[in-house]
Amino acid sequence: MKDAVIDIRNVRKDFGRKVHALRGVSLRVGAGEVFGLLGPNGAGKSTLVKILLTIVRPTQAEGTLLGQPLGRRGPLAQVGYLPENLRFPAHLRGRQVLEHYAALAKVPRAVRRRRAAELLERVGMSSWGDTPASRYSKGMLQRLGIAQALMNDPKLVFLDEPTDGLDPLGRRDVRHMLADLTKRGKTVFLNSHILSELEMICDRVSILVQGQVAREGTIAQLTEHSVTYRITVAGGLDGVAAEVRKRGGVIDGNAISVAGRDAAAVNQLIDVLRGAGVLIESVTPQRFSLEDVFVEAVHGRGVGAALEAER
Amino acid sequence: MGTQLWAILRDGFRESLDRKMFWVVATMTLLIAAVMACISFEPDKIVLLFGMWRIPAEGFDATTEMGKSQVLSVMIQFVMSTLLGWIGMMLMIIATADFYPSMMERGAIDVVLSKPIPRWVLFLFKYLGSLAFVLLQATLFVGLTFLVMGLRWNIWAPGYLMAIPLMVLLFSYIYCISVYVGVMTRSTVAAILISICAWAAYVVPPAALEVVESEPSLRANQALVRAIGFAAAIPPKTADIDYIASRWAKAGTSLDLMPQQQMTLPPEEMERLRERERSKIAANPAYSIGSSLLFEALVVGLAMWRFCRRDF
Ligand SMILES: Nc1ncnc2c1ncn2[C@@H]1O[C@H](COP(=O)(O)OP(=O)(O)OP(=O)(O)O)[C@@H](O)[C@H]1O
Ligand SMILES: [Mg+2]
Repeated sequence: MKDAVIDIRNVRKDFGRKVHALRGVSLRVGAGEVFGLLGPNGAGKSTLVKILLTIVRPTQAEGTLLGQPLGRRGPLAQVGYLPENLRFPAHLRGRQVLEHYAALAKVPRAVRRRRAAELLERVGMSSWGDTPASRYSKGMLQRLGIAQALMNDPKLVFLDEPTDGLDPLGRRDVRHMLADLTKRGKTVFLNSHILSELEMICDRVSILVQGQVAREGTIAQLTEHSVTYRITVAGGLDGVAAEVRKRGGVIDGNAISVAGRDAAAVNQLIDVLRGAGVLIESVTPQRFSLEDVFVEAVHGRGVGAALEAER
Repeated sequence: MGTQLWAILRDGFRESLDRKMFWVVATMTLLIAAVMACISFEPDKIVLLFGMWRIPAEGFDATTEMGKSQVLSVMIQFVMSTLLGWIGMMLMIIATADFYPSMMERGAIDVVLSKPIPRWVLFLFKYLGSLAFVLLQATLFVGLTFLVMGLRWNIWAPGYLMAIPLMVLLFSYIYCISVYVGVMTRSTVAAILISICAWAAYVVPPAALEVVESEPSLRANQALVRAIGFAAAIPPKTADIDYIASRWAKAGTSLDLMPQQQMTLPPEEMERLRERERSKIAANPAYSIGSSLLFEALVVGLAMWRFCRRDF
């Protein structure tokens, strides 16, 4: 990995005695990466980002952000942030929002002016720049929020559910903007539920479950070890159903799914089927989508079992 | 740092102008100044609407030093106790009560805190911004009434302008409570209600002391006088601001201290009042203001500490 932009170890956060939002999270994000953090609601994704941005104080944390110890505010000048459930002060207009927050990030006046115009254009809001932000629709707020996060031309951008509330075109625009950012060498840290999107844009993902990293790796790595073979047969499986289940097969009509990369086990199952005179139509290895990996990580069981649970 | 501080102040200013209450109070100021400008004085008469009416006022002559002093006293009373002390102050408290809660709303505070600014700077400059809001209103009010007094009544008392900082000071004694409650609860309503209660708690003991001291039967009760006196001595000393304002207003002019009582009270009572007045005014304004500011700093410090430590 290239030099780490985020390098944290053992981050813990308790809210009161009962809520353990994070239980020892360690992460490394390299420069220029698009990193996706996923996890179910309440897993601690937003809390982790807020700790990196000094909005929440960790119970315990070690590590660095842009090379400086966690908790320093200095590096924040190089960071952009789109929070979840974004709101802007009611007394500011769109353009003023951008310029105000950029000023707080120490961007000089002339640069603020120019970038505000550019970014409004880029998020498709140029005709709304002089409308009070309190009159924006949810998706318009989100667009302005993304523009806001880029006003200081950050090295590292945190986006907490960036496509929340956006229409399909808006989502595509966001994907293009992210691609553009990485082209310019920026690092993107993304929290999202929309797995298909993460699949499209992330280099690496971590799956956070109940405050702990349950899986981590590139999309290819994550989906590779969760291969399933799908065997379709002609006719019924009545005679062999019990035997098939015993060998870990999951029956769905006239198809059988077998979790795992163990080709030998699949062959044995085929032998059983053949022995019983079942006509096999096809055997296909299926790579699982991120969603399947996600479900598996959350339920903490094998892919097959997760599939079962879904059914 | 300069860019950031300037941005915070400018934002506070924009927020103020966005408040309807700001314009309500400014309009009230203009109305009051206009009404005052319609009044003028002749010996033993008060003239309304440039001579349309002449109201006889036996023994009152605002063209003499004595009369001017009386008018000035009434103005100070009006500004510090009646107008700002009650209505204006209430409106200002309402107008500013949501500055902190709205800044701390979820989804809004996150963006601000993700910027490279220390939290205490955010907090303090928001505070200064709120005071600037009141300073603006106070300047408008005192400045306009000062001009009307000078131009229409020929009463030029530069010390009267000291009412501007004193108004802001008086406001800040109450506002610190509003900020504290706002930061603790993030609720505008709680901030308004509790700061009004606190204000009552400031105002009641000195007022009670006044009553007790002017009523001979109560005055005889030493324990009562001492207890109320003690309560009244606890900072912040909102009541002192009146005295300090009238003292400063008349400083450097030949205008007497409390002359209006001279008409209505028996001589021995008058003498007692003047004595009390003297002792109060002799009481060090620096002590009164200093101890009150100390109290304010304590409350603001606690609120700031909480703001800097809490999670959002
Ligand atoms: N300020 C807070 N006070 C108390 N508990 C909190 C606070 N913020 C978060 N939590 C708790 O911490 C846990 C993690 O919350 P967090 O917002 O990080 O989840 P998330 O992964 O972002 O969820 P979502 O996908 O719904 O956005 C939750 O149990 C939540 O209730
Ligand atoms: Mg979240």
